[in-house]
Order: sequence, then C-alpha cells, then structure tokens
Amino acid sequence: MAHPSQLGFQDAASPVMEELLHFHDHALMIVFLISTLVLYIIVAMVTTKLTNKFILDSQEIEIIWTLLPAIILILIALPSLRILYLMDEINDPHLTIKAMGHQWYWSYEYTDYEDLGFDSYMIPTQDLTPGQFRLLETDHRMVIPVESPIRVLVSAEDVLHSWAVPSLGVKMDAVPGRLNQTAFITSRPGVFYGQCSEICGANHSFMPIVVEAVPLEHFENWSFIMLQDA
Amino acid sequence: MLRQAAGHMRGLLARRASVAVTSSAVRMASQGHEVSETVDMSRPMYYDRADVPLPDKPYKDLLTDADKSLKQKEKGPWTQLSKEEKIALYRLMFCQTYPEMKQKTSEWKTVLGGIFFFLGFTGLVVWWQRIYVYPPLPKTFEGDSQAMQLKRMLDMRVNPVQGFAAKWDYEKGQWK
Repeated sequence: MAHPSQLGFQDAASPVMEELLHFHDHALMIVFLISTLVLYIIVAMVTTKLTNKFILDSQEIEIIWTLLPAIILILIALPSLRILYLMDEINDPHLTIKAMGHQWYWSYEYTDYEDLGFDSYMIPTQDLTPGQFRLLETDHRMVIPVESPIRVLVSAEDVLHSWAVPSLGVKMDAVPGRLNQTAFITSRPGVFYGQCSEICGANHSFMPIVVEAVPLEHFENWSFIMLQDA
Repeated sequence: MLRQAAGHMRGLLARRASVAVTSSAVRMASQGHEVSETVDMSRPMYYDRADVPLPDKPYKDLLTDADKSLKQKEKGPWTQLSKEEKIALYRLMFCQTYPEMKQKTSEWKTVLGGIFFFLGFTGLVVWWQRIYVYPPLPKTFEGDSQAMQLKRMLDMRVNPVQGFAAKWDYEKGQWK
C-alpha cells in the first residue's frame, strides 16, 4: 500500500512490476531531459535582446529536430514493447481464481480443487479496529501462495469494474459477460492492497481488493478453514 | 467582372478616403460612438520599433515654414547646426527616442498585485470552507490511530525495497 505523502509507485511485489518501474524510470528521464531543453529554449528566447527578421530556411535544424524525436520514440518504444510481450508470456499457473465484481464488493472463487467462494466487503470506517487502514481493509482477503504463478479471471456480475493491485502491476477490467485473464507471481510474502478502478456507482471508492501472499502451507490451512466456514 | 471589381475597389477607396479625411469628431457625431481610425496598411506607415530603426516615412509629413527652413539648413554642413536644431530635426523624423521606446512600464506591479489579490481571496474562501463546510475528520486521522497504523505498516513490511519499511531500522527500532 502507499505510505503517507507518497508520490511515486509502490515497491514492486512481482517481477512484472519491477520491469514496469524500470521502464518508467527510463521514460521519465527522457521526458525530464526534453522538458529541461524546452524550458531552457523558452527562457533563452524570452530574455534575449537580439532579433533576426530575415531567416528564410533552416534545413539543418529541421533535419535534426525530425530525426532526433524519431530516435527518442524508438528508444521508448523498444523497452515498452519488450515489457508488453513479456507480460503475455505463456505461463503455467498453479492456481486459477475468479474475481467477480459486484456493486459494491468483490467475490473470489477458487474452483480448481474444491468449490470455494466468498465475498470480500470493505470494512466500514466505524467498524475499523485501531491500526487498520481506512477504505482499504476487507473482511475476507484473496489469499494466494507466494512465489507461485497465479491466474486471475476477472469478470463482473452487473456493471463495469476493474480489478487492480498496483504493487503487483495488475489491472484488469471486469466486464459483464466477459472473462479477462491476467497472471502474476508474488516475489515476496505480504499483504497487497488495491482499489476498484472503473467507476461503478455510488460506492465505487469503497470496494477495495486485498491480496495476501503466504507460504503454501498457510494457504492450504486457510482454504481448509474457509471451506469449513462456507 | 474586372470592371465590377474595379468599381468595387473605387467604392472602398472612396470610403477609406472619407474616413481619412473626416475628423474623429465628425465620425463620433455620425456613428454615435468612438470609431477607431481605419489605417491603410498598404501605404507607407510610421512606427516606433526597437528592431526596425528606420520606418517607412518620417514622423512629421506636413512641415511648417520654420520646419522647411530647418530642413534646408540640414542640407548644409551639420557642424553649423545647434544642439536644439539637431534635436528638432530628430523630432521631425522620429516620434520617440530609443530610451523613450524602451521605457519600462509599471504594468508588472498591477499584474503581480492582481495575482496576489486573487490568491489571498482564494485563501479566504478556503479558510471559510474549512470552518463552515467540511465535515469532521474520521477517527483514523487521530494521533493514536495514525501511530498504530504506522506500526502495522512497518510490521507488514510495506514497501520494503525503497519505500517505507526500507527506511526503518528493525534491529535498532528507529528510523534510519
């Protein structure tokens, strides 16, 4: 989750997110360089007393400022496409979970082995225990085994929603009548928070997503307990 | 068609000429409000510009007899002109001197003052809103609650690589 007054991305909890962070650093550096150059040129133009009213053509600079942007764009596009294809690599998921968006909660179905399904409602602010995070905590978390490839099939039961967990680098729209697939691996155990990312009505801001990555044993214990409770 | 166009042009020129010939008082009376002068841009104009030193025509076109005699004197050696005569000749040719053209205005004071005024007004509006409009903050904003949330974030190792938990020294129990 984000820490107070955080401006940048959350630390990566999956390899794909690490790649996205590095790419963002690369692209942002280019953006800063270009912006600095433009700002410098603007200041230079505004503060000069020199004038020249007789410029007719400028072949050399035109060539430069056509070629250079093209090169810069290629330098941005190549890493971007690399990550795009990387995200679509064929993976072999250990677990498939269905995340269904409702108004206004998520429900998770673990149907690979047994029939496990449960709803995940936000804990209202007045019911929070001290130490819990406002607007982020849910009564049931989506527990997954750590360092295992997970496939999530995202869909919706009523209107558009979007299942997003920033620290895992995952966002997938939940479209009614459609199954969208996304996959990730968590590099470290922990609790990762996200929020619904597609406007879906009055409580769109109040249907968070909590993913808890635990060692496999703990996952097995948890699913056993959840099945019993159901 | 050409004859039509020519006739059209003559009419336009006649209108332009009439504007140039009539005085602003006459135009005021006929139109009922101030009418700006129509300037014919195709004819030589006078302008004061720092980057164009010599305009298309001198400033004063209609010379009085004194001016004309001064212009005659100018055709002779310039060392015989007095300082006032040289200045008078300059003023015949040009309206403003370079220092006059480049004179700074106090416009920036008005602009900056206006900006500060509106910033201040916005501040007043925001302050009023905080008192009369905003509801009370949720209890999670209180000091104890914040401290417990921070502790929990550290226990959960939130952002342990570079972000949050990375800055906490777990052995010493203090920020790095």
